[in-house]
Amino acid sequence: MSHKLTDGGQVLHVGTLARVEGEGGLHLEIHDGKVTQAELRIFEPPRFYEAFLRGRAWTEPPDITARICGICPVAYQFSSCMALEDACGVTVPQAIGTLRRLLYCGEWIESHALHVYLLHAPDFLGYPGAIEMAADHPAVVERGLRLKKVGNELMTLVGGRSVHPVNVRLGGFYRMPTVAELRALRPALERGLEDAMETVRLVATFDFPEMEQPYTYLSLRPETGYPIEAGDVVTTAGDTWPVRDFTQHIQEQHVAHSNALHATLDGTGPYVVGPLARYTLNHDRLSPLAREAAHEGGLGATCRNPFRSIVVRAVELVEVLVESLRIIDGWRDGVPPAVPVPARAGEGFGATEAPRGVLFHRYRLDADGIILDAQIVPPTSQNQPSIEADVRELAQRWVELSDHDLSHRCEAAIRNYDPCISCATHFLDLTVERS
Amino acid sequence: MTSRFLVAGLGSPDRGDDAVGPMVAGLIAADHLPGVLVVVHEDPTGLLDLWRGRDTVVVVDAVRSGAPAGTVLTVETGEAQSPLLDQAWARTGRGGTHAFGLAAAVELARALHALPRRLVLVGVEGEHFGHGEQLSGPVEAALGEAIDAVMGVLESWRDEEPARRTG
Repeated sequence: MSHKLTDGGQVLHVGTLARVEGEGGLHLEIHDGKVTQAELRIFEPPRFYEAFLRGRAWTEPPDITARICGICPVAYQFSSCMALEDACGVTVPQAIGTLRRLLYCGEWIESHALHVYLLHAPDFLGYPGAIEMAADHPAVVERGLRLKKVGNELMTLVGGRSVHPVNVRLGGFYRMPTVAELRALRPALERGLEDAMETVRLVATFDFPEMEQPYTYLSLRPETGYPIEAGDVVTTAGDTWPVRDFTQHIQEQHVAHSNALHATLDGTGPYVVGPLARYTLNHDRLSPLAREAAHEGGLGATCRNPFRSIVVRAVELVEVLVESLRIIDGWRDGVPPAVPVPARAGEGFGATEAPRGVLFHRYRLDADGIILDAQIVPPTSQNQPSIEADVRELAQRWVELSDHDLSHRCEAAIRNYDPCISCATHFLDLTVERS
Repeated sequence: MTSRFLVAGLGSPDRGDDAVGPMVAGLIAADHLPGVLVVVHEDPTGLLDLWRGRDTVVVVDAVRSGAPAGTVLTVETGEAQSPLLDQAWARTGRGGTHAFGLAAAVELARALHALPRRLVLVGVEGEHFGHGEQLSGPVEAALGEAIDAVMGVLESWRDEEPARRTG
């Protein structure tokens, strides 16, 4: 929707953004052909999770916070587990960490397959949505659904359910899968790996607008492997710090146009979390096959074009399928599913890589394990300032387009981030004002 | 052997009236009807796999159409029927895959030529969808009507089958 302002300006309003997770909109103001304002308006109501975690027991956040998001519940479960185990001074055995990584791989497969095929690919293939795309490209959509199903199967086996897993507990799991159960998934995962390689080949053929993001990228980086369920924080500014220092570097603030907090890094401008940041900071950690896929997909050692995030997601699909097979092949029966996590007074910090980027949790407990204070910093609220900066630059480049075309392109630019509004309000609609 | 009939209860068991699909499915499963597979599902994208290769399917789900809570709606939307775009199911969730609803699953399946030959959606109008809530009174009171609707569809198909095979 577009309307003129009394000062001659013009407003373009995209009421509700399509193919993003949750409800939000975009408001653009254009005066004398210059874009003066680009606001991501997140009107999905605030959900007050942090407030109602206060007074709950230390064992409850993995199940409560998982409900923040139906796409990335595992991220919430494991960031909260890490933070609470940190507060209680418990380090889980390696096998539990490995199984967490495997369950997380299932979530990445589900989430990336859905975003690449059902939400993002229609932008590049010229369709309003996946249903219209499916009529002309059935094999493409079928492949996406097949990949999603592999993720579902992995989540169901390890997590007990494909949505909101029930097998996760503080200190580990309720039940360990057996070698026989995991090996039975191998054929589906091998087919998934072939589908992921085909995904890279498909998305590499798309036309990508030229764009180079100048922002700082931030991700986790573990001692070994690609960042998923653990790691210290690293940035392209060359900084490295432990997760417990997160709040010293990341500041959250309320802005009037959004129900999601905006985050800044060390008081500077926008920074980016998610696939581009992970890839750029950890390309050397990819498996040989994923690195080969990245090369085949036209990526170098870094990627700063947000439109190419779909290629990075496809490469990450390859990575997590390779990783799933590796973990399954090394699995042994007889490992205790959990370790005790007795309560104690203290503060704990945890962060993992949700499919959309770093998800940080902090909890403060009393001696009985009652939560005194909780803080959750989801990836989309961290990316909001960079999403707005991207849209401001791109809308200026496309300012001569019709409002309809401008709206469509801006929405596509927002989808580069796979924003999860539901998580951010734990957060889209477009308005353009022109004069 | 693949059961000829599939009944799928769609919804989250702990989100108030969204549990009506799983509850109706559970009650029908308790009858152990021969030749009828009954499943419960939370993720509509998974329906496409459930439908694949099946001839006849009934899906029970909570809907929000503006009708009074507890109203039971029945729509046949197999491969021979029109798209669901104007139905109550289509009005829920136009956004991301969080909101990839039943209508989207049906229409994606139609585009992929993967719809069952006969597909009936039984919708129960809900009013409360909060975390941890029980079924609302009107929806609980409509369970019997929803089960009757599903059984009525299954029986009409059973009656129709021999005629179809010999005819």
